[in-house]
Amino acid sequence: MNHPEIWMLAAAGLFGLGLYSLIIARHLLRQLIAIKIMGSAVFLVLVVTAGLVDGSLDGIAQALVLTGIVIAVAAIAFALALVVSLAETTGSISLNPDDDDGR
Amino acid sequence: MVAEALACLVLVPVVAACLALVLPGRWRWLAVAAGLLPLPLAMAWLTGELGREGLITVAVAGFEAPLGIVWRLDGLSAVLVWLNIIIALLVGLHAAAHYPADKLNGFRFWPLWLLLSGAMNALLLSADLFNLFVTLELVTLAAIGLLVVDRKPQAMRAAVRYLLLALLGSLFYLLGVALVYGQTGTLDLYQAAGVLQPDLLGHTALVLMTVGLLVKAAIFPLHGWLPAAHGNAPGPVSAVLSAMVVKVAVYLVWRLWLWLAGDWAIPAGLTMLGLLGALAIVYGSLQALVQQRVKMIVAYSTVAQLGYLMLLFPLLGLVAFQATSYHLLSHGLAKAAMFLAAANLLTRLGTDQLGDLRGADRRMPLDVFTLALAGVSILGLPPSGGFIAKWLMLQTALAQGGWLWVGVILVGGLLAAAYLFRVLAVLCARPVACPELPVSGKADQLTSLVALGLALAALAAGFVPAPVLKLLATAWPLGGAP
Amino acid sequence: MVIDVFLALGLVVLAWQALIGGSLFRGIVMFIVFGMVLTLAWAWLGSPDLAMAEAAIGAGVTGALIMIAYWRLRRINAVEPRDPSPARSRLALVIAVLATGLVGAIGLAAVSALTGDATAARVMNETLPDTGLGNPITGVLIVFRNLDTLLEVAVVLAAYIAARAALGRESADLPLPPAPDTPLLTPLVVTLAPLTMVVAIYLLKAGSQYPGGAFQASALLAALGVLLVLTGRVGPAAAANWLTRAGLVIGTLVFCLVGLGMLVIGAPLLAIPGIWAVYLIEAAMMISIGLTLVLLFAGAPGLSGKRS
Repeated sequence: MNHPEIWMLAAAGLFGLGLYSLIIARHLLRQLIAIKIMGSAVFLVLVVTAGLVDGSLDGIAQALVLTGIVIAVAAIAFALALVVSLAETTGSISLNPDDDDGR
Repeated sequence: MVAEALACLVLVPVVAACLALVLPGRWRWLAVAAGLLPLPLAMAWLTGELGREGLITVAVAGFEAPLGIVWRLDGLSAVLVWLNIIIALLVGLHAAAHYPADKLNGFRFWPLWLLLSGAMNALLLSADLFNLFVTLELVTLAAIGLLVVDRKPQAMRAAVRYLLLALLGSLFYLLGVALVYGQTGTLDLYQAAGVLQPDLLGHTALVLMTVGLLVKAAIFPLHGWLPAAHGNAPGPVSAVLSAMVVKVAVYLVWRLWLWLAGDWAIPAGLTMLGLLGALAIVYGSLQALVQQRVKMIVAYSTVAQLGYLMLLFPLLGLVAFQATSYHLLSHGLAKAAMFLAAANLLTRLGTDQLGDLRGADRRMPLDVFTLALAGVSILGLPPSGGFIAKWLMLQTALAQGGWLWVGVILVGGLLAAAYLFRVLAVLCARPVACPELPVSGKADQLTSLVALGLALAALAAGFVPAPVLKLLATAWPLGGAP
Repeated sequence: MVIDVFLALGLVVLAWQALIGGSLFRGIVMFIVFGMVLTLAWAWLGSPDLAMAEAAIGAGVTGALIMIAYWRLRRINAVEPRDPSPARSRLALVIAVLATGLVGAIGLAAVSALTGDATAARVMNETLPDTGLGNPITGVLIVFRNLDTLLEVAVVLAAYIAARAALGRESADLPLPPAPDTPLLTPLVVTLAPLTMVVAIYLLKAGSQYPGGAFQASALLAALGVLLVLTGRVGPAAAANWLTRAGLVIGTLVFCLVGLGMLVIGAPLLAIPGIWAVYLIEAAMMISIGLTLVLLFAGAPGLSGKRS
């Protein structure tokens, strides 16, 4: 890892793109992808800012990211099941708030 | 023995969740009981030990920080673990009526319930910033899973929105953790507290983690997801969401600002957090005043009552800490009681539209009584836990000359009176216009009694505050009264 | 430098392609390609463990899960095939630019403040030889910070139960694409299946000393499972038999029981008594996570021999 700055700039770009898409996207799948990409940006920051220890990447930071990747896939899998189920029961995946607080 | 008792708080519910998934039929009840019943015993023993030691720490797997993860039980976490256990058991008793463990919906419900209570205990014990992230994710996924067990479309929409925001919040939190680790080389909150500098990076890390947690805590203006989720969840799930799940996120904000950054002296930040709390109190109460459904009123009441927890920051001091922690405890009990009572009305009368509930006190006197009793504590009328908490808050605010905060506490109380009396006035109105009650069985009596028990517990908290306040005082990190 | 810039720029461009404009389907494909480039990036940065995990889980399994969800949404006809046009929002642009600036600024500040003596990692490098493990990541995951890993396996379990709760019924009637019917499939599956299993077990075993471990192995098994489901060699079953249920919980259960067992013999909670315990726990986790991911893909509570 010779050029950490480059990776930090990439992480910044990914985070910003993800956030932008999360706000403007109307489709839930697209929003989930946005969250996943933001997660990758955070993982990059975690590993790169931990730096090198004895010439190799910080092992603890790597292990944390590995944990994070597995948690992310679990969360996404649940979210997808929820979205598919919502589509099945209501015929749409709109999150229109007027439908659900009784006003 | 300490390690055994702590392990019991976290691992026994998790093992029980596994067993509840593999055991056949009625054996699942056994797993559920085995997962929840030992918790108060372990915690009672730990509380005695805590009284002697003042602080309990255990290095999990035998590795001290910074290498390993440390569990740390102090007065504050002990009070919250007690609340968690009481909620898991009593609200669980209510849930047992609707989710038989040997039927399909109970088959999904109980493993999630057990994982949720184990995860919240793990969160309250953990002193490790990344381990807290993992426990937060477990809490979130289990809670949202519970939210959709009935598969109501409204609940599912609310769940999707809740999940998206909770995941976003986690990312902000984790980004802050990454910065802390990069700067300090440790993930232990108490080690990092000594090393992390209040410079640009330190402040940014603190703000990122705080924002992430405020989303999960639904503090104004990030509360948007809460009313629909808490108002449409199954009754027992609404109760645990409002009583515990959002509270643990506020608890973590406290930990960050008072323990991690306790000596940074950032008055602007503290005032800012207090202002968010004040806005939450006013906005949540006003919204509660105009809602048409009982459960939505109770949900917006949660938005408002969470605001009081943020008043700790501007009022900063031992008494304010005791007051807000006590508010957390008594609101947890009272709000759980309210949600259960509201759920009973909804289940048995088929509606919780305020307009259809005229004279509900004739049909279901016990549940209406419970709503009123729990309301006493939410309002902060004596004698109740809510009274102790708000009285102490007022005292510190007056002593500091913080007139804004005095005003907010008083206005919040008046608005709470307004929205609660509005509900009670309709419920006790004549002529009776609410639907006839189907014949009630034993399960219905049980669910009403559980709600009543929680409301009585919130009242009882008004009579014996001393031991709890003393326990809380041992945890206060910043020295004597202001 | 050139490769750094190339990979970093590639990530940003692919994220752009995945997130903004274009059809949703194209976005999903771009997201999978993004995962592959991220795999290369991890490898280039010097983390083969993360590269493997990203390839198998981040790009592979996540991509498959999103793809099948997209296919199901199309089939339910709940969603118009075209992405609803995104909201135009200046505010979103401002927020995104601010977020980019913030992360960029603090990221640059953080790397310029790097001292190269991460305390925890240094202690870990000194302690690792005592455990008999050669791979520091396995050391952290299974020995030093195994509470994280235990709770993480519980997260996977919770996600599975929550997904079942959301889908509702006991029966398996989420649609799957029809299995392709070509004569080449059988030899392909017959070759791939045992090979994947061997590689998975090898990864698990090698993970104690070299890159690899339970998570990468479980993702490989999950990938194999997805292939078998897609080719119709394995089908969704209406109910979970006891074996499936045991497989789902064995990871969490074995981990907890080993940890509690250590307390009984007077060792610290979750202390790992030896390398055999590492293998035991990793094997159990591999089964649980792999099985969970396949079931989540199939959208069914259980698996049966052949799709009807």
